[in-house]
Amino acid sequence: MAARTDDLLRYRPWRGQPRGPLHAAVALARMSLRVLLRQRLLWGLFGLGLLVFSFFFYAQYLVVWITNQLGTETVRFAGIPVTVTNLTKFLDRLNLNGTAHTFGNFIWFQGYVLVIVLALAGSVLVGNDFAHGSLPYYLSKPIGRRHYLLGKCLAVGTLINVFVTVPAVVLWVEAGLLFDWETYYLNNVDLLLGVFGYGTVLTVTLSLLVVATAIWVRRTVPMVMVWMGIFAFLRMLGEQLARELETPAWRLLDLWNSLYLCGLWCLGVDHETIRPVPQPRFWQAWLAVAGVSVACLLYLRRRIQAVEIVQ
Amino acid sequence: MKPLIVLNAVSRTFGGFTALHDVTLELPPGRTGLLGPNGAGKSTLLKVLMGLLPPSRGSGRVLDEELGGDPEAEGNWRLRRLIGFMPEADSLVPGLTGVEYVALAGELCGMPRVEARGRAHEVLSYLELEEARYRRVEEYSAGMKQRVKLAQALVHDPPVLLLDEPTSGLDPAGRDALLRLVKTLGTEHGKSVILSTHLLADVEAVCERVVIMAGGRVRGQGTVAELCARRLDRYRLRAQGNTEAFRAALQDRGVTILSDDGRGEWRVAVPPGWGNLGFFESAQATGSVVRSLVPDDETLEELFLRVVTEPDFSN
Repeated sequence: MAARTDDLLRYRPWRGQPRGPLHAAVALARMSLRVLLRQRLLWGLFGLGLLVFSFFFYAQYLVVWITNQLGTETVRFAGIPVTVTNLTKFLDRLNLNGTAHTFGNFIWFQGYVLVIVLALAGSVLVGNDFAHGSLPYYLSKPIGRRHYLLGKCLAVGTLINVFVTVPAVVLWVEAGLLFDWETYYLNNVDLLLGVFGYGTVLTVTLSLLVVATAIWVRRTVPMVMVWMGIFAFLRMLGEQLARELETPAWRLLDLWNSLYLCGLWCLGVDHETIRPVPQPRFWQAWLAVAGVSVACLLYLRRRIQAVEIVQ
Repeated sequence: MKPLIVLNAVSRTFGGFTALHDVTLELPPGRTGLLGPNGAGKSTLLKVLMGLLPPSRGSGRVLDEELGGDPEAEGNWRLRRLIGFMPEADSLVPGLTGVEYVALAGELCGMPRVEARGRAHEVLSYLELEEARYRRVEEYSAGMKQRVKLAQALVHDPPVLLLDEPTSGLDPAGRDALLRLVKTLGTEHGKSVILSTHLLADVEAVCERVVIMAGGRVRGQGTVAELCARRLDRYRLRAQGNTEAFRAALQDRGVTILSDDGRGEWRVAVPPGWGNLGFFESAQATGSVVRSLVPDDETLEELFLRVVTEPDFSN
């Protein structure tokens, strides 16, 4: 036993079998998320996202319950007669009926929280690596630049899917349980695939955008400012220009709207039913989203030079 | 014995600027110092050895891996698996504890998660960081930061350690402790160490061999003893008696007093054609006695200064 204890105090060799760099990317993503989950502010935002999901979850249940329980009856609130249709009017705007618009609207509203989370997460996940010179630590290991990027994008993608895709799938499951589940699940598999498609588009585009922006500005405050510029200022500008010039293509300046259109295409929504109007065509939205993704990739390819690790 | 590193006329240019000129090296396994002033090409050489930069000309090998090709190619990843790199800059990941930082390094090098975690604990204990392993790395002192960087270089048990200015920012006690650790890794655990530094004392404390670079070229390579023993005009002289007069007499005859330790021992450089009898003649003339006269090797510092200041120096 003494010899074994003494052995532990000495340096011992390792003779295991090393794994490939893809495992390293997964480890990188896992550890990045661990660092992120230690940020208290983000837990508040997670709570906010949970609130949005809870609203949609219980509202969908409420609409079905009210309809089933009350039918065409009239109820009284403080002596005021209210019909069932009036009761559900507000909730009907959100199309809480298990259709494509249900999931599209959920992801649209959840996006308000997601965008803030990504702005803060970007500086923690990626910006810190550049601000604190951590890149030599990563790139001196037997991985390439693409594995570093893959790891970071995996971490951001996990966040995005926890916020939008997973809750949207839960809403789909709930809708099936509330309506005729045999009919609903069999007839709406395409909706489920559409949800995954929407999640994929968001994951790829937003993760590249977060990583690229975080590498560019590095710190939290500039990151939030850039994010506000992209998702608030450009949205207002695009909306204004589309209205004034009566040209829907100006809405392409609003990246979140373009992602929304791509998501609705995945969900099989008819273009004429999309609100507000006018909206660009689906192919224009795909082009805008692809353009942003490619631009981010090109920037990342140029910016992450492994040779920088030795000063 | 199979050479650790073989470079054949390796050059590296960036546009019109040549950072490495025809570098030819053959280093055996062991502890080697890479010495040179700023701009000597040490960093570029390290990048080439790690497979991050392909040579513009020439070829080379580190252990069994050929140098060159796309830095993103699999061969160059395998090369970095053989090397544990300790960067000069902080390179810490804020938010991670010491054990997480080192364990992640292990996983990035291909270790399975559980093994990487266990190995991180072992290596941190070996480097005397077991008390602080659950603290965040950004809270560490300068000495602890250097040791945790060494730990992340060591976790996957590479045969070669590349240390870039490992004692940067350390106080003398911390520096000595780290250099002792590095030397032990080389002598007792069979690691080959390449220590890139501009601090001659670090090289003297740890390394068996030294490669001196300046202006992108290798100006000298060999063991410290081989490189410094080439001066035949230096002596260590101990005298007794009227040492001031003796000293003045020597200087009158063209002898240069290089240093005086204050206890009667001098290091002197004699002019061309000097015969040792001249010491005894001067001593007799001034009423002094020569107690000791031995040839003196050039110090590494003197050699380094000579390499840097003489453009035509080569060995």
